[in-house]
Amino acid sequence: MSELRLEGVSRWYGNVVAVNGVSMTVGPGVTGLLGPNGAGKSTLIHMMGGFLAPSSGTVTLDGTTIWRNPGIYRHLGLVPERESAYDFLTGEQFIVAMAKLHGLDDPGVAARRAIARVEMEPAAGRTIGTYSKGMKQRIKMASALVHDPPVLLLDEPFNGMDPRQRLQLMDLIRQMAAEGRTILFSSHILEEVERLASHIEVIVAGRHAASGDFRKIRRLMTDRPHIFLVRSSDDRRLAAAVIADGSARSVQLTDKGLQVEAVDFQRFTWLLPRVSRDTGVRLWEVSPADESLESVFSYLVDR
Amino acid sequence: MSTSTIHDIGYRHYDGRRNGRAYVLRSLFVHNLRAAYGLGRPARAKVMPFLLGAIMLLPAAGSVAVFAVTDRPETLMRYSSYPPNLQVIIAIFLATQAPVLASRELRFRVVPLYFSRPVGHLDFVVAKLAALVTALFALMAVPVTVLYVGGLVTKAPDPGDQLLRYLGALLGCALFALVLSAIGMVVAAFTPRRGFGVAAVIAVYMVSTAVVLIVQGIAEQETNFTLSGWMGLFAPFNLVDTVQVRLLGASKSSVQVAPGTGAGVVALALCAVIVLGSVAVLYRRFRKAGLS
Amino acid sequence: MNSTIAMITFRAMLGRRRALLLLALPLLLLALSVVLRSTGYDDLDVSEDVLQKFGLATLLPLLALIAGTGVIGPEIDDGQLMYVLTKPVPRQVIVLTKLAVANVLVVVFAVVPVLLSGLVLTGTTARMTPAFTVGVLVGGLAYTAVFVALAVASRNAVTIGLLYALVWESLLGNFAPGAKSASIQQWALSVTDALTPASPVRASVGLAVAVPLLVLVTAAATALATYRLRSLTVASAE
Repeated sequence: MSELRLEGVSRWYGNVVAVNGVSMTVGPGVTGLLGPNGAGKSTLIHMMGGFLAPSSGTVTLDGTTIWRNPGIYRHLGLVPERESAYDFLTGEQFIVAMAKLHGLDDPGVAARRAIARVEMEPAAGRTIGTYSKGMKQRIKMASALVHDPPVLLLDEPFNGMDPRQRLQLMDLIRQMAAEGRTILFSSHILEEVERLASHIEVIVAGRHAASGDFRKIRRLMTDRPHIFLVRSSDDRRLAAAVIADGSARSVQLTDKGLQVEAVDFQRFTWLLPRVSRDTGVRLWEVSPADESLESVFSYLVDR
Repeated sequence: MSTSTIHDIGYRHYDGRRNGRAYVLRSLFVHNLRAAYGLGRPARAKVMPFLLGAIMLLPAAGSVAVFAVTDRPETLMRYSSYPPNLQVIIAIFLATQAPVLASRELRFRVVPLYFSRPVGHLDFVVAKLAALVTALFALMAVPVTVLYVGGLVTKAPDPGDQLLRYLGALLGCALFALVLSAIGMVVAAFTPRRGFGVAAVIAVYMVSTAVVLIVQGIAEQETNFTLSGWMGLFAPFNLVDTVQVRLLGASKSSVQVAPGTGAGVVALALCAVIVLGSVAVLYRRFRKAGLS
Repeated sequence: MNSTIAMITFRAMLGRRRALLLLALPLLLLALSVVLRSTGYDDLDVSEDVLQKFGLATLLPLLALIAGTGVIGPEIDDGQLMYVLTKPVPRQVIVLTKLAVANVLVVVFAVVPVLLSGLVLTGTTARMTPAFTVGVLVGGLAYTAVFVALAVASRNAVTIGLLYALVWESLLGNFAPGAKSASIQQWALSVTDALTPASPVRASVGLAVAVPLLVLVTAAATALATYRLRSLTVASAE
């Protein structure tokens, strides 16, 4: 079990602050690093991967400093965002070379295992230059896995992948997290993060905007209107009663049911059952309509 | 029951007037010309072209300054000698900037994107070549102009003759720019890997120049000046200098130039072959790259 | 030294078109030598001219530039170096390996051709062949170290290298004596001068100055390259 720890990390380039006072701890499981383009995700990953010195603060892996410490790469695998690998090598040659650079006992076996993990055996004999984007991404993944590291950093791993490749990679990441690895991946696409990460770290304009389970984060933001979808035996009557009470800002009749925008989350959840009992309307379904990461995120970004 | 419809999302076709081939050509030309000086690209890309441009200006400015102080006309550099004397700087400019125009799109495999639009293969190549020619011409003509204007201001003798020689030198600059660009573009278009294009272009320049100089050295020792002169046609700067001397009435700046007006005509024909050949080769190269 | 890094670097450098470029220059030198020999223009003056102007002053800096910047520059630019840097390999090992590969390339494509060309032109007369071979070798070591360091330090490495080799050493060397004594080419020539009694070889720098400077520059450039690689930040594409 490994833990990446950032304490008060800032990074600036001249007068531009790319990362501003970020403290976070990344533990076992999948952590999604989420933020719009240019938020400082790559800068952060580069600091975690030892490619960039923090201008202030510390980045450590299980207590050891990462910057200028090549020994750390025994415990760390990094998949860079850039596509280019050594195009003139075959996939197998590339992974064997990576295994040798790690000084592994049996590089051939380690390479074959890593290639099998990413299901690239059929193409392992072809040169990387002939690979598709998804294949390149998978072979890069194998290069980071070859020494079986407890920590994996993935910079925008889903970029340029088709949906099937995306699902495969997600499965792979889930499996590896189940083995107790610490995995951090960055993305600006919410759907990916939402489906994969149990834990998110949100970076907006270089600042650490939020951290934790995204549903909990969502609930913490009580000052934001919540939208519920309600299906009942008589939507019209329920709508009238809800709007009369005043805890909802708007109520909309749709063909899927009643869409209610609640101003006060607490009050609304308390109120709705009472209103339905008093009016004799049966509630069939009450579901939050905007509990998606998208809404959490756009809220954080717009704030 | 569900009905399938295509929703009107407000997409509108462009039905207006299109600007046509000349506009496309001009856009490509301007884009490439800016790229040749690193304009519209990060500061890192601007450093070298402007540094080399500044170095090109130094001797002209220095020459004018010395003339202004000493008033001795021989301290003013000859207009037609300016490019041959500073050929190393010009060659380095060519080597660093020709790959910017010729290799970048090949390296990133984006050439097909151009040809999926109404851009002709020939237009594409001609615009690129013309941009590099213009960039090189500016690199040479600006200091030569500084020299001429500086001479006028400081009252160099015989202004009528100066003007004629200045105009002749400008023609020479244009020819230098044409021949050098043609060679540089072709070499760079076949070495798309970063860094190698630069090395390849400079290698072609240095090796041709070194071989020609060695053979000329031997020929001069044997007092065979005719052979020495004709050998000059195989080094790009010497080749154009031959045209300058034999057809434009300049004094020679190279070790030796081939004798007689005929040699000038031959040299000019050779220049034309180089330029046209370059266009043909580049046309084929980019057409092939545009297919993949 | 790391054999895996060396293997990858050799394969990157000797891809088809690049190998041709590397091979074309020495072949031209050899062809020129053979032509001069067969036409009888192979006296000591001409031979010296060829070995110095073509071998030492043209072929050597060009090949050292191609090899020195080529072994590491494109990998930094395209980001492949990330795969080597994310391994528990000390950075000085990476630099020394890259340097060794570049040196092997310079020996194969510049030093050996100069040796062969010397043999074709002068045989063993006046020990000119071994003298130029050694001169080109020591010059090559220094050039390569400098160009590798440049490639790590700057993205304009090739252009800066050209400005140094062509403008500083050749152009300014003809006018300013100061530039001439601060020139790897002249130091290498000084070594050659010390090894041959042939009169056409004339160096402008004494051996006692040249040798320490060669050693110093090579060592300093290697140290600089290692230092810069330790804190290399792999930036995004252009």
